[in-house]
Amino acid sequence: MIESQPAVPATTPAVAADAAVKVQRCGTLVNFEIDDALPLEAACRELREHLGRFRELYAGGEVVVDVGRRMLSDDQKQRIGKVFASESGLSVRQFWCAPDILEMERDRISDLLSEQAPVVRKVQGAAEPPPAADDTITPPQSEPQGAADSPAVQCDATPTLIVRGARRSGETLHLPGNAVILGNVNPGAQIIADGDILVFGALRGLAHAGAAGNANASIVALSAAKPALRIAGYVWDDAAALESPLLSGAGVPGNRTAIIASVQDDAVRVSPYVKNYGISPDGISPDGISQGGNPDER
Amino acid sequence: MSGKTLVITSGKGGVGKTTATANIGTALALRSRRVVVVDTDIGLRNLDVVMGLEYRIDYDLIDVIEERCYAENALVQDLRAGELYLMAAAQTRDKDCISPAQLSNLCRRLEMDFDYVILDCPAGIEHGFRNAVAAAREALVVTTPEASAMRDADRVIGLLQNGDVRRTRVIINRIKPELVRQGGMMDSAEALDLLGVDAVGLVPADDRVITSSNRGRTVAHDAAAPSGREFLRIAARLDGEHIPLIEPTEEPGESVSIMDKVRHLMGLSRGVGAGV
Repeated sequence: MIESQPAVPATTPAVAADAAVKVQRCGTLVNFEIDDALPLEAACRELREHLGRFRELYAGGEVVVDVGRRMLSDDQKQRIGKVFASESGLSVRQFWCAPDILEMERDRISDLLSEQAPVVRKVQGAAEPPPAADDTITPPQSEPQGAADSPAVQCDATPTLIVRGARRSGETLHLPGNAVILGNVNPGAQIIADGDILVFGALRGLAHAGAAGNANASIVALSAAKPALRIAGYVWDDAAALESPLLSGAGVPGNRTAIIASVQDDAVRVSPYVKNYGISPDGISPDGISQGGNPDER
Repeated sequence: MSGKTLVITSGKGGVGKTTATANIGTALALRSRRVVVVDTDIGLRNLDVVMGLEYRIDYDLIDVIEERCYAENALVQDLRAGELYLMAAAQTRDKDCISPAQLSNLCRRLEMDFDYVILDCPAGIEHGFRNAVAAAREALVVTTPEASAMRDADRVIGLLQNGDVRRTRVIINRIKPELVRQGGMMDSAEALDLLGVDAVGLVPADDRVITSSNRGRTVAHDAAAPSGREFLRIAARLDGEHIPLIEPTEEPGESVSIMDKVRHLMGLSRGVGAGV
């Protein structure tokens, strides 16, 4: 319930009454997870009891309280703040809740204000990364719900995380959805995502798409220079292609060619990115220029 | 007077941190700045050797930190460059004997007397690095245009940007224009695109860096050396002058040295072994 990550109570019904407060280390952070199926009253009681029991552990510091799938009133927030203040040296810096709850609340308020039903729903899940002191970022999980509302547009209900800025050597991001990196991925940096990976910059490090086993995932980058590419269980290992102008990094930054990597015939194949998500059937040719797929297909 | 503390760091060893520290210190002092260079590579000190001051050291950084002497006692003046002072590292101790706070306090004190406090950071990203970085407000990351050095520089820039250092700039060292032209070395534009920070200098590879440091004299004194000229420009840029970056070229510096060799072979040179 505290710091960095929201609990995922909807998917953890097994939490027994005796484990209503679970404490986990998450890198340098401490993650409190409180079953948010509990009524607020009971949750406060559990929290009070836990903090009291380990009073000397929580001597000081600030916490971020993630209230999961609840919308709290100011009064309720104050009550939780008082529990922390009275039972430990911790103070509450900020409250978070699940993004879909927040969005529902926003929609509700705007409906009330405008008396006008929202016509278009936003694509699910695009959320800012939490302020990460740790290398690992897990975006708030949310249930897919957009599909039923908007049958006209087929959209990807996987949560997408947008990461601003270059990823540098030594950094690893684990993302349980799609990843959009607005910047370069440098040699020695790793992006591991369960969904697709889009790099708006040069990909020079490691990108592992579909890391949970989705072989339909793909990796797209504005340019690539000796990247390490993995999709699901497939590792791209093509020494000849690595020397091609498309992937050797020659000419970067002046000469950029976008690439797409996907699994075809049980192997990761890389080709120049063709418009309309076209994947060249030929993969990469020795000179790095392959025939485009079927740009008109959609 | 309120100066500023710069740390010169790199992650990877052997890319020219110590040489850069000595030369930038010299070049700033030649611009009439009051400069102190501090070797924070405790246990592996060599800034004193590069500057040719090793025989004049009585007290070192650890003596100051552990209050066996005043900071002034540990400052050795390099008389060839005006107001340039060296505070050497202890050779017989290790990095764990000082803390980031102690070094920060020392730097704040030195800033009162000097325009520039330049810290020569040890290689690596461990305790010694954290000491030096905690004390500095600005960082200069030295790298060579090689993949291994670039990766370490990138890592260090990431660490610096997550820390308290306010400004990070890079010096690309040992550029070989000939290799760049042949495609065997990444050019500085590519290197800077990768690192994503501004450069403060592009230093060509230059044998005179080695010969002068072996003589205990920094190459910044030698305005005929292409590397020495670039260190003078770096000092000017650090001092706030707007001097555009100059990509090293295969230039007279090279051909002169080839001509020297020819003259030497023909017995026309006054070099070693000639004129017997």
